[in-house]
Amino acid sequence: MTPKMDRRRLLSTAVLGGAGLVGATALGSLAPEAAFAAEAQPVEPGAPDPNFAEGRISKISAGTLLATGSDGVLHSIRVTDGTSIWKLYPTTFDQVAVGDGMYARGVRLPDGTLAADSIWVNIVNLHAHIAAVGRNTLHLDHKGQRIVAHVVPGLSAAVYNSTPAVSDLSLLKVGRHVQVLGAWHPDTNEISIATVYAAA
Amino acid sequence: MVGMIAALQAPLVGIVLIWAARFKLFSRHAEASARRSALTRLVGENRALPAYRLLGGAELLIGAALILPPVLRLEGVAATTLTVGFLGYLIYAKRAAPDASCGCLSAATAPVAGRSIARSALLVPASLLAAWSATGWWTELTARPVAGAGLLMAELALVVMLSPELDHRWLLPLRQLWVNVTHPLRGGSGVPLLRSVQQLQQSRVFRRVGNLISSDVREHWDEDEWRMICYSARYQGRPATAVFAVPLRAYEPDSVRVALVDDRAGATLVTL
Repeated sequence: MTPKMDRRRLLSTAVLGGAGLVGATALGSLAPEAAFAAEAQPVEPGAPDPNFAEGRISKISAGTLLATGSDGVLHSIRVTDGTSIWKLYPTTFDQVAVGDGMYARGVRLPDGTLAADSIWVNIVNLHAHIAAVGRNTLHLDHKGQRIVAHVVPGLSAAVYNSTPAVSDLSLLKVGRHVQVLGAWHPDTNEISIATVYAAA
Repeated sequence: MVGMIAALQAPLVGIVLIWAARFKLFSRHAEASARRSALTRLVGENRALPAYRLLGGAELLIGAALILPPVLRLEGVAATTLTVGFLGYLIYAKRAAPDASCGCLSAATAPVAGRSIARSALLVPASLLAAWSATGWWTELTARPVAGAGLLMAELALVVMLSPELDHRWLLPLRQLWVNVTHPLRGGSGVPLLRSVQQLQQSRVFRRVGNLISSDVREHWDEDEWRMICYSARYQGRPATAVFAVPLRAYEPDSVRVALVDDRAGATLVTL
């Protein structure tokens, strides 16, 4: 059995086995004072969030990403064992490529490196109108620009009227307004759809 | 046969001209349409509407003359002049004001495109044939009613197909019907990850451990009727994995379970 399967077996057993049930107090004090004891984040009003970085990835080396922000600032981002990486779906560090865009959230280390908790690669969030519908593609009109959005069978989900997500996108209609979360294909006007939010 | 085809071009050109004239003379939107059209470039802003009305009058006159007896060669010649003029105007409009509407047949704003020019080009040989024909269309139509009516209908259908102004009447409903039949966006089957995450976020256990979670979804897999979703977490100062078991098909946020596991030691820290 591979280490990955071993790990999954361990985790599944832990959550489904039901052994060693621990009460609520194991998660710390329930008293309100506990909430105020936490350290406040020292963020100046109006200043950029120090625990966030975005940019195009220019270099990847040994668990570190170098990214050029849209304001030209160079960010160094450290990827750890505990970092979640999203690239249309939860994936692993080896799927990240030079030229990808990314958003990262984490903790700023004293040397300026961002120790990432979560990285979203090529993520886009668009408000658009559906201009045309094709075989597993949506043509979107986004502020006058045409965007080709690909439906990925098995991955793309639709949320109609804020109800739970479903995999059936066939209720989308030409002319309707949609919000699309997806993964950009770098240097093209194409995206893959993760979620479409629409009224139906 | 050729005589019949030639004779039947007169009503075709006549119908199209009267249709265009009806809009230019009697529509409430004619004024706005004139201002949007490329005529403003050609004759100036102030003279666009009078020119537009004048054109409509000429179209009505020539169209009616083509359809009504008697058959005069002059009618066909006038119609040819008009259709050649339209073709020239459209080509000019395409070059001079590519965004302007042609204002030909309706208030619908459709920039001059290949189809409008093709429609206009179709009317030039039709009006030439009408000028050449010496017999009235009604005599040819009564002589061969089926072939004549079929030809006229086919030609009118071609004009409609070449009219972007009429797309909303037939092309868009047809496309909608096609989409409803083929369902090109059916997508995949199965339960999307987002649905499980939504269920998880509405669960009681997530409210209790949510503040320990530091990352987005790290991995997920399905196990029988459960979907396992893993996050990174911090518990009592040590890194841990928060693994949630979410019902795969049912929507029961209350039956979501969680375990915080220290991966390295392989020890379960908390289960709820």
